[in-house]
Amino acid sequence: MVPMENYLVLSGIIFSLGVYGVLARRNAVLVLMSVELMLNAVSLNFVAFSAYRIPSSADATGIIFAVFVIAVAAAEVGLALAIVIRLFRNRSTANVDEAATMRW
Amino acid sequence: MAEHAWILAAVPGIAFIVMAALGRNLPRQGDWLAVLCATSIFGLFFAVLANFLNLGEAAWPVLNSIEWTAIGDFHLRMGIAVDQITIVMLAVITTVALMVNIFSVGYMKGEPRYWWYFAVLQLFVASMLMLVLADNLLLLYVAWELVGLSSFLLIGHYWERRSAVEAAKKAFITTRVGDVGLLIGIILFWEATGTFNILDIIHYVEEGAIGDTRLFVTMMFILLGAMGKSAQLPFHVWLPDAMEGPTPVSALIHAATMVVAGVYLVARMLPVFEAAGALDVVLVIGLLTALFSGVVAFAQTDIKKVLAYSTVSQLGFMFVALGAGYASAGMFHLFTHAFFKALLFLGAGSVIIGTHHHQEMGQLGGLWRKMPITAGTFLIGSLALAGLFPLAGFWSKDEILHAVEGQGTFFFFLISIAAIMTAFYTARLFVRTFLGKPRDEEVASHTRETGPVMTLPLVFLAFMSIVAGFFIFHDFGSAFGFPGGFSEFVFLHYPHAFHVDWGLVGLSTALFVIGTFGGAWFYWNGRLDRSTVMAEWQPKVYEMVQRKFYFDDLYQFLIDRVVLGFSYLVSWFDRFAVNDTGVDGSATMTGYAGFLLKHLQTGRVPNYAMAIAAGVVALTLLSLAVGS
Repeated sequence: MVPMENYLVLSGIIFSLGVYGVLARRNAVLVLMSVELMLNAVSLNFVAFSAYRIPSSADATGIIFAVFVIAVAAAEVGLALAIVIRLFRNRSTANVDEAATMRW
Repeated sequence: MAEHAWILAAVPGIAFIVMAALGRNLPRQGDWLAVLCATSIFGLFFAVLANFLNLGEAAWPVLNSIEWTAIGDFHLRMGIAVDQITIVMLAVITTVALMVNIFSVGYMKGEPRYWWYFAVLQLFVASMLMLVLADNLLLLYVAWELVGLSSFLLIGHYWERRSAVEAAKKAFITTRVGDVGLLIGIILFWEATGTFNILDIIHYVEEGAIGDTRLFVTMMFILLGAMGKSAQLPFHVWLPDAMEGPTPVSALIHAATMVVAGVYLVARMLPVFEAAGALDVVLVIGLLTALFSGVVAFAQTDIKKVLAYSTVSQLGFMFVALGAGYASAGMFHLFTHAFFKALLFLGAGSVIIGTHHHQEMGQLGGLWRKMPITAGTFLIGSLALAGLFPLAGFWSKDEILHAVEGQGTFFFFLISIAAIMTAFYTARLFVRTFLGKPRDEEVASHTRETGPVMTLPLVFLAFMSIVAGFFIFHDFGSAFGFPGGFSEFVFLHYPHAFHVDWGLVGLSTALFVIGTFGGAWFYWNGRLDRSTVMAEWQPKVYEMVQRKFYFDDLYQFLIDRVVLGFSYLVSWFDRFAVNDTGVDGSATMTGYAGFLLKHLQTGRVPNYAMAIAAGVVALTLLSLAVGS
């Protein structure tokens, strides 16, 4: 069996890539993709813990959470992409730095 | 009926509400309602009296109360207690109220706010009746304040006049100082005994439930309230100024309501005063007041002011009698004084109307030709006040002299001086107003006797001023509703039959003769007031007397400097520390903080994301540092 640490390290790497993407990228679509990466890292963690914590039991809490995250992520992407499209229609750009009117 | 004596207070109370709401629209602005109300309580009083006497001594005091509220174990009962003192007060209040109401119909004719005047008059009577009927100090205090309110409204009836407004304020605030004392006293009693009921308190005190020092302090606070209402030194300043009100109101205030409330309270609580050893204080205050206001009355030139200081002086006499421990003498003087002082004030009102609003003695004189009924009744009132045998004032003054006799020669001597002064200024008042030649032809030519609506109350009160004194006698008193005569009806420890002490009668008559004939000789028919001659002879002394021994100036100074100074300090603290620094300061701080912190809000999403990430990192590091 693959050791638990491998999953966690992989999950950590993916999550860090996601954080980097969110902070560094300007394009709204790429920021969204980075958010997805972070969500998937979390899902991976859930599944790994679920598999390792109580092996071959009927307890599916972690897996259910993973499915739940996928569903929420899908909904979120649907909403967020709609916002990005509206932003692009309005400003002819998807650059998040330029959408800075919501302030004092 | 006696247990339903609360109706006496309820009738004028309801009349007040009706007249205050509808009075303006009623025919004749509702004055008939006022007279009807006064007549009915006058009649109801006799029903109460008859029932009270029928019940017999064993049933006294007649009690009736309801549970007002209950908080845990504490049951607050409100109700009435009718005993002998209450009966005397009811007699005085209902009689004088009726006379004043009738007289007012003539006196206030055509005056502004006629309906409102009569409405407040009913409130005044209602609250005073409630005061004397109350069986507990809390209800008494409520009525006490209502009396203060109605006197405020009536003194300030002509509120277009600045002096009337000031006088009303002065009366209200001065008595308020005393009222606070009364309230503190009531609270102290409640703390010590857990009850407001007067009879219970007396009972507890007689059992010695309250420590000596504590009881004394409590009684001093109660006395403060009584002094404020009864215009005793040093709270007397409001009463002469209260002359700004319509004259019938002065009659009511001076005879039946308001000022006698203090005397009533002291008489009611007399056993407690005695137990507290506070009687001497009452005696000394009364004596000082009697002497002081007797002197000041000489220098007054306004008829009503002379009468006002005379009232202060007579209230002093009552306090002296109570201070000597004689409830009967004090209450008896209250009883007789009510009639002749109401008579004198209504007579003064008649003079004012008859001469078309002249009340300075310097402009009057020789009125007896023009106003024979007023002059005749005024003479009877004056003689009763001065103490002519056998008018009302003679008997009650005799009782007071008798009471003070036991207090030592010094006090007896001083009260005799006060009695001479009473006769002296009364003689001056009568001589200067009614006898001699008119000083002002202009005024004299317009003078006319007033109508029967005003002279009939005068005649009735004159009759009462003659006979009221006889209530002291066993047979006379029994026949007219005070079984056994006054001093067997109202007493503190044991009833005592009245005996004529011929030595005292002689002395009392001598005092009367010295005072009256001295005064009459001194002021007879001078075109100039001899008091003004005195002014040239001893200007400093005269000025001191005329300025009322500088009491008003002293109070004005204290108010200007101490009270206002302190209030400036307080208002500065309020404005600077509380308002500017506290309230406005916190608002300014918040606004300024927002002004600075708004720059954190860049509107750029990556900045927020960075803040979140940095926060997570920081929290992680923190938990690692703390957790390890």
